[in-house]
Amino acid sequence: MTNFRKSGRGGVDRSKPISFNFDGKVYQGFEGDTVASALLASGNQLMGRSFKYHRPRGVVGAGSEEPNALISVDRGKGRVTPNVRATTQEIYEDLKCESQNRAPNLKFDLGAFNNVFSMFFPAGFYNKTFLWPKSFWDMVYEPFIRNLAGLGPAPDAADPDVYASSYGHCETLIIGAGPAGIAAALAASKKDGRVILVDEQSQMGGSLKSTPELEIEGQRAEDWLTKSLKALEKSENVTLMTRTTAIGYFHDNYVALAERKTHHVPAAAIGKIREELHRIRAGKVILAQGGIERPLVFNGNDRPGVMLASAAQTYLGQYGVAIGNEVALFTSHDQAYQAAFDLADANIRIPVIIDVRDNVREDLVAGCEQRGIELMTGSTVSKTSGKLRIKSLEVFTAKTDGKRTINCDALIMSGGWTPSLHLWSHSKGGIKWNDSLAAYVPDVANENAVCIGACNGDFGVAAALNAGHKTGGGRKTYATNEIDFGTGVVLNAMPNYIADTKQKAFVDFQNDVTEMDIKLAVREGFKSIEHVKRYTTNGMATDQGKTSNLNALEIASKAVGKPIEKVGLTTFRPPYTPTTFGTLVGYRDGELFDPTRKTPIDPWAEKQGAVFEPVGIWRRAWYFPKDGEDMHQAVARECKATRDSLGIFDASTLGKIEVVGPDATKFMNLMYSTSWTSLKPGGCRYGLMLREDGYIYDDGVVARMAEDRYHVTTTSGGAPRVYRHMEDYLQTEFPHLDVWLTSTTEQWAVIAINGPNARKLIEPFIEGIDLSPEAFPHMAVREGKICGVETRLFRVSFTGELGFEINVPSHYGRAVWEALFEEGQKYDICPYGTETMHVLRAEKGFIIVGQDTDGTVTPHDAGMSWAVAKKKKDFVGMRSLRRPDLIMEGRKQLVGLLTEDPKTVLEEGAQIVMDPNQPRPMDMLGHVTSSYWSESLGRSVAMALVRDGFNLMDTEICVPMPNENITAKIVKPIFYDPKGERLNVV
Amino acid sequence: MLFDQALDIPESLNSDGLKISLISERLRYSIRIKKSDLVAVKKISGLSFPSKVGKTSLSSACDILCLGPDEWLVIAAPTEQTKLSKAFKKIKKDYVVSITEISHRNIGLSVMGPRAVRAINVGCSLDLSLQAFPIGKTTRTVFESASIVLTRRGEDAFSIECWRSFAPYLRDFFVRIVETND
Repeated sequence: MTNFRKSGRGGVDRSKPISFNFDGKVYQGFEGDTVASALLASGNQLMGRSFKYHRPRGVVGAGSEEPNALISVDRGKGRVTPNVRATTQEIYEDLKCESQNRAPNLKFDLGAFNNVFSMFFPAGFYNKTFLWPKSFWDMVYEPFIRNLAGLGPAPDAADPDVYASSYGHCETLIIGAGPAGIAAALAASKKDGRVILVDEQSQMGGSLKSTPELEIEGQRAEDWLTKSLKALEKSENVTLMTRTTAIGYFHDNYVALAERKTHHVPAAAIGKIREELHRIRAGKVILAQGGIERPLVFNGNDRPGVMLASAAQTYLGQYGVAIGNEVALFTSHDQAYQAAFDLADANIRIPVIIDVRDNVREDLVAGCEQRGIELMTGSTVSKTSGKLRIKSLEVFTAKTDGKRTINCDALIMSGGWTPSLHLWSHSKGGIKWNDSLAAYVPDVANENAVCIGACNGDFGVAAALNAGHKTGGGRKTYATNEIDFGTGVVLNAMPNYIADTKQKAFVDFQNDVTEMDIKLAVREGFKSIEHVKRYTTNGMATDQGKTSNLNALEIASKAVGKPIEKVGLTTFRPPYTPTTFGTLVGYRDGELFDPTRKTPIDPWAEKQGAVFEPVGIWRRAWYFPKDGEDMHQAVARECKATRDSLGIFDASTLGKIEVVGPDATKFMNLMYSTSWTSLKPGGCRYGLMLREDGYIYDDGVVARMAEDRYHVTTTSGGAPRVYRHMEDYLQTEFPHLDVWLTSTTEQWAVIAINGPNARKLIEPFIEGIDLSPEAFPHMAVREGKICGVETRLFRVSFTGELGFEINVPSHYGRAVWEALFEEGQKYDICPYGTETMHVLRAEKGFIIVGQDTDGTVTPHDAGMSWAVAKKKKDFVGMRSLRRPDLIMEGRKQLVGLLTEDPKTVLEEGAQIVMDPNQPRPMDMLGHVTSSYWSESLGRSVAMALVRDGFNLMDTEICVPMPNENITAKIVKPIFYDPKGERLNVV
Repeated sequence: MLFDQALDIPESLNSDGLKISLISERLRYSIRIKKSDLVAVKKISGLSFPSKVGKTSLSSACDILCLGPDEWLVIAAPTEQTKLSKAFKKIKKDYVVSITEISHRNIGLSVMGPRAVRAINVGCSLDLSLQAFPIGKTTRTVFESASIVLTRRGEDAFSIECWRSFAPYLRDFFVRIVETND
C-alpha cells in the first residue's frame, strides 16, 4: 500500500493515518496529505479523464494549477462540490470523492471513443460540423453538445451549508506565503500597521515545503520556516490566513479573499460557516504568488505518470511520496536538475536526464555524474508508452538520428517557469516580455502594489527572501545553498522523427488542445491570441490555462511568424481559482438576500390571513380572503363593502418627503408641473412630476402644512427615486434656494378610511379638528389628535368615496388601526388590500404611474393637461413638452375600454388592433394597461394606451387573443360616479 | 396609546461577546442649518451642534450628530421634549432652518461587546479601527442593503440608526452572524 512513501521524508504526520474513499475504493493516507499525494503514495497515477477525448490522465502539478486531477467531493445531499483539484483537497477521515468525466469508471471509459476518432475532432470542430443543416440545430446538435458539455455533476439539491462574508482593512496585504511573502511579513511585522499574510494552502511555506533540506542561513529550510511562522504568530499586528485564496484584485487595493473554513474537517456540521469571503482594503499589496512551472509540449506528454518536475519535488519534500521508482527527467531548463537531484538523493532511481540543449552547465553535469545519472543532451522524448501509466519513453537524438527506449514509471518535465501575473493583471498592472525567462513579468504598477520573488521573475529562494525582506521594510540578506536558477531555451519545434500529424503533443491538458490545434487555428486565419484561444478553447477550462497559456502563445507566435509581444496575451480575469457561488453570496441567501420592508400594520394583516404582494422591496397586503375565497371573490367583496359602507386600507408605504424652507413653494413649482402658489396652508393638491424629457415620472397628493412646509407624498415604489431626483436638482440646479428635504416615509403610518361611513367612524376619536364638510372640505389637511395621538389628517380619496388618510407616528400605527377596526364593526368595516385599491381607482380612471404610464407618456397623453400649470415660467420638463414630437397628433393616449361582452375581462398588456382580419404583421394601436372586474358596475372595465385614442371615442377596436378576438369600445376613462358626488356624502 | 417599535431581539443577541439591544423610545429630529448661522444658532439654542461632519456631541439625554455640512440628527430622551421645543422655537424665530421630526422614522440598536466590530464589519465596509473610527465618530453608511447611521460610543460600543422597516433585516443579519459563528 505505502510502497511509494519514503521514510524520513515529508511533513505528513505518520502517527495519524486517515482512510478515505476515492471512486468507491478505500485508500489510506496521513494527516497533511492531499487526495493526490495519498493516491500517488498508493501507486495510483490515474486520476481523471480529459474533457474532449476522455484520455486517461494523471496528476500534472501539485497545487491549484492542476489541470487534470479534478474530483467531486461528496458530503451528502446538496453538498457535492465538483471540479475540486485533487492536489488541493486535504484528506480527512471518511472523505468521499470521485473522479469525473468518465463512464462507467476511470479505467474503462466509454467516452474514450472520442479519442480513437480524435483526428475528426480538430480545433473548431463544433463550429464547422454543426453548421448544417440548419434545422438540425434545435433537435439534434444542441442537445448533443449540451450532453457533452460541462465538467462534473451539476447540483441537484439546495446547498444546506452557510457561507459568510466580511470586510477588513490592513496597511499591508501579502498574498502568498512562500519565502518571499514570509520574509516580507517578517520585516513588516517590525513596523507599525496591520499586516495580513494569506496563503491558499493549508500550511504556509510555499516552495520551502517542497525543499525542506535546503539550507537558509545555515539552517534547514523546514526549521527556518517553523521559526519564522512562530515569530509571525506572536506579532500582534500580523494576521495569518491559510486555506485562503486571493481570488480577485479590484480598484483601490480592494482584494477578495476566499477562505475555506471546513473543507478539511471531517463531518463538518451544517449550520456553521463553510467558506468566507473577506473583502480587504489594503494600503499596500505585496504580491508573492510565485511561479508555475511550464510543461514541455511533446508527443505523449499527457500519459499518466508524466508530471512537472517541481510537482515531483513537492510530493517528495512535502508529503514524503516518491512519484515512481524509476523517474526520468526531460527538461529545457537548468532549474529542473534540482528536482532530479532531490529525488536521486532520496534513493529514487533516475534512469536518464534528457536535455534538449546541446550544452549543459558544468555543475549540473557534475551533479549527474556524482549521482550516477545518465545525461543525454541534444535529445528529446519522441514518444511514450503505457496504457494507464507510463512504462517507457523513447529518446530521440536528432544529430545522430538515434532512438532509444528507456523504461521508467514516471517522467518529470520542465520547460522553465512562468511568473504568476494573475492578480497583478487584475489590478491593471503593466507587463513586459522578458526574453531570458521567455515569460511576461510585471512592469509598471497601477495600484500601490509590488510583485516580489518568482512572480516578479526573480527566481530562487535567496532572491525571494531578499526581495521580500526589502519590500517589507527590512534590510536583511539571506544566503542559501540552492543551485543557481540558471536559464533555459524555448525550441521552435520539439525535434521528432514522427510526422506532426501523427503526434499528440498536448498544450492544454484539461481542454485537450494540442500543438496541432493551435497551428491549425493560425493556418485558418486566427492571428490574435484572443481569437486562437476562443477557437481552440485553449486556457478556457477550470484551470484557466495556468500551465498552458504561455506554451500556446509560443506556438502561436511562431506559427504566425511574429514576436510574442505582437501576438498579445489573453486577459487574466477573476477569480484566480474556481470559487463557489456560496462564497460569492455569503450570508445573503433566503431572507437576507434583500430586506423585506413591512409596515407597522403588516403584523395585523398577517394575523388576519392577508395574502401579500411585493411592491418594490415593500410587501403589502394584496387581499384578505375569507372562508376559502379566491382572489376574485375576496376583491369583489372588499370593493362592494367599501363602496357600500366602509373600507380600511394600509397606505403606510406611500413615500413622504417633508419640504421645508422659505423657498419651499418656489422649489415645488420647479419640481412639479402643478402650480403650488395658490395652495393655502391646510390645503391639498394633486401633484404631477415630470422628468426633464417631459414624461410623467411620479405623482401624489401634496399637503401644504405651513407657508414654508409641504408634506409631499409619492408612489410607494417611487419614493427613493423621487427623493433622489429632488435632491439632485436642489443641489445641482437650484442650490440658491433656501429649502431642505427630509424623507418622512417611515415617520408616518397611513390609514386610509374610505366609504360613506368614513366620517362617522373617525369622529369619536378625533380631537381638535372640525370634521364638518364646510370646515374640512375634500382636498384639505388638518392637524390634531386621533386616539390621543398627534395626526396629520388628510381628506382625500383614491377610491371616489368619502375618504380620509390618517397619518400617525409609525410606532402608534397598529394601535390606532386596531382601535378604528374595532369601532368599525358597527359599519361592517372591511380591510382591503392593494388589488381592491387598484380596482376602485380604475373605476374612477385614476392612473397608476408605471402601470398606465411607461416612461413615454406626457401629461396630455394621460388626459391630465389640467395638471400642467399654464402660467409658470419654468419647471422640470416644461421645455420638452413643447417638442414637436410631444405635441404632434396621433400619439398614444390613455382611454377607457368597455368590452362588448361585459363579462369579459381583458388581459393587461394585450395588444390592440383596429381590424383583426388585416394581414400580418398587424398594425398595433396600443395596449391594455389596466383591466379589472368591477363588482360595483357588474361588468369589466379597462384602461389602455391607444394611438390617437382621444379622437377615437366610441370606436370599436379589437383585442386579438390566442383563442378569440375580443371586441371593445373606446370610452372616456371614467366608469363610476363621473360627477364625483360620492365624495360629498354627509 | 400603545407605543410599539415592533422589534423583538432574540436571546442569541445577548452574550458577553456581542450584545445587541433595541434602544427605547427616543425623540429624533433632522435639523438643517446654514453653515454661516451655526455659531449663532448654537448660542441662542444652547444646543451643542458639532461643527464638523462626522463629529458628535453625546450624552445620556441628548445626542447631536453632524451628518453633513448643513445636517444634524438630534436623538434625545422623551424627557427632553420641552427643552428641545423651546430651543427650536428660538432658532426658527430668527434663522432660516428646517426642523423635521423623525422620531418614529428610525429605530436605534445598541451594539456592544468585543465582537461588535467584527459583527458590524460583516456588512459595513468601513475601517473600524480606533485610529480610523475613533470614539465619538458618526457617519451615514450602509450595512449590506440597509442605510444606517453608525456612531461609536466606546471602544466596543456602537449605536446604529436605521429606518424602521429595515430594522428586522439588520436584526436577522446579526442573528445569522451569531448563530453561524463558532
